[in-house]
Amino acid sequence: MITLRDLTFSYLKPDGTPVTETPQLNRVNLEVAEGEFVLVCGPTGSGKSTLLKTLNGLAPRFTGGLLSGEVILDGKDLTGKEPHDFAHLVGFVNQQPEGFFVTDTVIDEIVYGAEQLGMPVAEIDDRIKPIIEILNIGDLLYRPLATLSGGQQQRVAIAAALVAGQKILLLDEPTSALDFAGATEVLSSLKKLAHESGVTILLAEHRISRVIAEVDSVLVVHGDGSVTKGDPATQFNDARFAPPIIQLGAMLGWKPLSISTEDAAARWAKQSPDFQEKKLHEPGKKILEIDSLKVTFGNVAAVSATNLDLYANQVTAIMGENGSGKTSLCWAIQGLGERSAGTVLLDGQDTAELARDARLDLVAMIPQRAADLLFLHSLADELKESDTFAQVEPGTTANLFAQLAGRIDTSIHPRDLSAGQQLALVLAIQLAKQAKVLILDEPTRGLDYAAKRALAKQLQLLRSPERTIVLASHDVEFVAEVADRVIKLQAGQIVADQSPIEALGWKSQLPSQLAQISRADGLVSIEQVLA
Amino acid sequence: MALAITASLSATPLVLFAIGAVSMLLVLAFRDESAWSRSVSFYLKLAAAVVAIRVLFRIIFNLESSPANPLLVLPEINLTLAEGVSLKLFGSISALSFQSALTDGLRLAAIILAVGMANSLANPMKLLKSTPGALYEIATAISIAINLAPQLIASLNRVRRVRGLRGQSKGIRALPGLVIPVLEDTIDQSMSLAASMSARGFGRKGQRSKMALKITRFTGLAAITMIAVGVFLLLITPTTQVLDLSIAIAGLAFAVVYIKMSALGSLRTKYRKQAFQSGDYCLFALTAALLVSAFTGVLQF
Repeated sequence: MITLRDLTFSYLKPDGTPVTETPQLNRVNLEVAEGEFVLVCGPTGSGKSTLLKTLNGLAPRFTGGLLSGEVILDGKDLTGKEPHDFAHLVGFVNQQPEGFFVTDTVIDEIVYGAEQLGMPVAEIDDRIKPIIEILNIGDLLYRPLATLSGGQQQRVAIAAALVAGQKILLLDEPTSALDFAGATEVLSSLKKLAHESGVTILLAEHRISRVIAEVDSVLVVHGDGSVTKGDPATQFNDARFAPPIIQLGAMLGWKPLSISTEDAAARWAKQSPDFQEKKLHEPGKKILEIDSLKVTFGNVAAVSATNLDLYANQVTAIMGENGSGKTSLCWAIQGLGERSAGTVLLDGQDTAELARDARLDLVAMIPQRAADLLFLHSLADELKESDTFAQVEPGTTANLFAQLAGRIDTSIHPRDLSAGQQLALVLAIQLAKQAKVLILDEPTRGLDYAAKRALAKQLQLLRSPERTIVLASHDVEFVAEVADRVIKLQAGQIVADQSPIEALGWKSQLPSQLAQISRADGLVSIEQVLA
Repeated sequence: MALAITASLSATPLVLFAIGAVSMLLVLAFRDESAWSRSVSFYLKLAAAVVAIRVLFRIIFNLESSPANPLLVLPEINLTLAEGVSLKLFGSISALSFQSALTDGLRLAAIILAVGMANSLANPMKLLKSTPGALYEIATAISIAINLAPQLIASLNRVRRVRGLRGQSKGIRALPGLVIPVLEDTIDQSMSLAASMSARGFGRKGQRSKMALKITRFTGLAAITMIAVGVFLLLITPTTQVLDLSIAIAGLAFAVVYIKMSALGSLRTKYRKQAFQSGDYCLFALTAALLVSAFTGVLQF
């Protein structure tokens, strides 16, 4: 179905020379069979997205850059054609469905592609039915797109990509903006599609653990221009993007590696490896005292009557589905966000009543899109600006950043840093004044496993007897690794306040993958396993 | 639209109030949960502000000289701007003058409300569906442009909120902190929308000769020019001239031909046509009736 011959792609500088010495994709030769379900993996920034885009003309048309080699789809050479010339054959779904929607109701969105291709109405009718059934969106057809959940939106986007009878479906990290429930919804729809429809699927995805057992093959974009494809168990020799289950297999010397939870569980039961107790940090002094805090928007209670004390030396994770009030709670604690009642006391002072600069000194918050806080043209400027504003010794921010992210050429533009490096930079800037409270809102969004591990280490470094760390996240594995305390929010209410061992253990409702595999009391996170 | 035109022509406060009320009722009856509907409150505030400003101006720049039965007596201030040119501020105001100011204000307010109503109810996305194939490209461009505005405001709000989280040295450097992320957002969003449309087949062309394309473009240009010239002449000449009317009509005829011709070569199909329903026909009838009564009313005075 897909044949690539000597495909080479490089991004170009304005003067026409390549940005990097080795092209992003270097002489890639690849075959994908009809109906194959392929998982595309690789570290962040390795070129997964670029590879997908070369398969429907978006690269180089919309990304810029230089392409050579041949792209042959369904027996036709489509090299160098415009994206709309691929449209009848290739459907494309990206990370943020809402930015990709052309119309405003579900049914209009689904038929848009077919309309553009001039498909007769009767034929559209015939094609819609099976797709709607597979994706289970029959009840949503006449709803406005804006009122759908992320998972529903993404399923609509998939239907829209396939309605004109496209034989190839490309998905560029379709679940990265979704919560756990939404991601599960989308991934199980994809499994059904792969089994029931015969569509060739290329799925670029960070949440590998949930799909790896379902795919026919794994394609790895290594980041040095090379691309390899093969059986799922053979492809994960690079730990940068290996999910916990693969790491576990590697640690315990499993050959071949297990890729499904069931398989791994059976092996674990046979081998019953040793593991150590999870190291939880004892609470230090009380830093924040939250008393009957309420946040309401219109008639909707985002956070209802919350009492909570947060202690130094601890990482407290706030978990919950999208819309459960995590973000509202973070902002309310920070002091800038809306509050309809209640107090958040820091050393006896309410964070909402602190003067702006005093609040910035005491409470550091990293918003969902950390890069929104970066606005200067070079890393050096950002670091200098931070020192100036915080009125600290020149070099303070730079030192902290180096501790967190290592030495990096400071002439680089902040937008060219990787997502993980940007996060480290924002952390360094926000903590230049040694704030007592650090709040992170969904920090692992869009990070690969390597970047998540780096962030976990950074949080260990930033833990101090003078500081409490609050982490809003629905990333179970990450929370299992870093948190000392887990608070579960549901519709704005705290429904549980537990240690991660209880909250994410194998008997809980939200078990981590390792807990599922081991079914061992007290084991939630991979660094506990003794190899 | 008809409401707005009627408002501009009528001069009684009662009628204007009625128009404003009808606009609001329509909005409340038909609005949905889209972002557009939320602009209603903005238009209401704008309308109220317009009335207030109009009345205030009348009080300040009072052109009357001591009316017989003053409603409001204020001390007069006479300013001499230049030799022989003086400006009177404040002073006594008659009820009549006050009323005329109020009516002026209300007229503007009613127009604003009527236009606001259209804006709040009409979703730009629907524009795409009801335009004829020939105008599709233009309509797409317009609807994207209109759509960018709320997106721009949304990302501006987000970035402004987030900016509060990081301190910043004072001065001119504050601006890039706000502008750069917002512009980046907007450009990213437009690019991703354009990419999405393209990836889904937008811009595919049917089988047509270059000659046919040229003729179609020429007809389109001619239609627009003639309609514009015709309407302009109709509006500036006091009495209706046969020539003006015939130019406008010829323009319309060209437009019809243009639309038919470009529809011939287009690939697109329409799955859900935005068909006119009985309600829409009622609206048309009402519009026509309103316009006729307004014009005849004007002719009478």
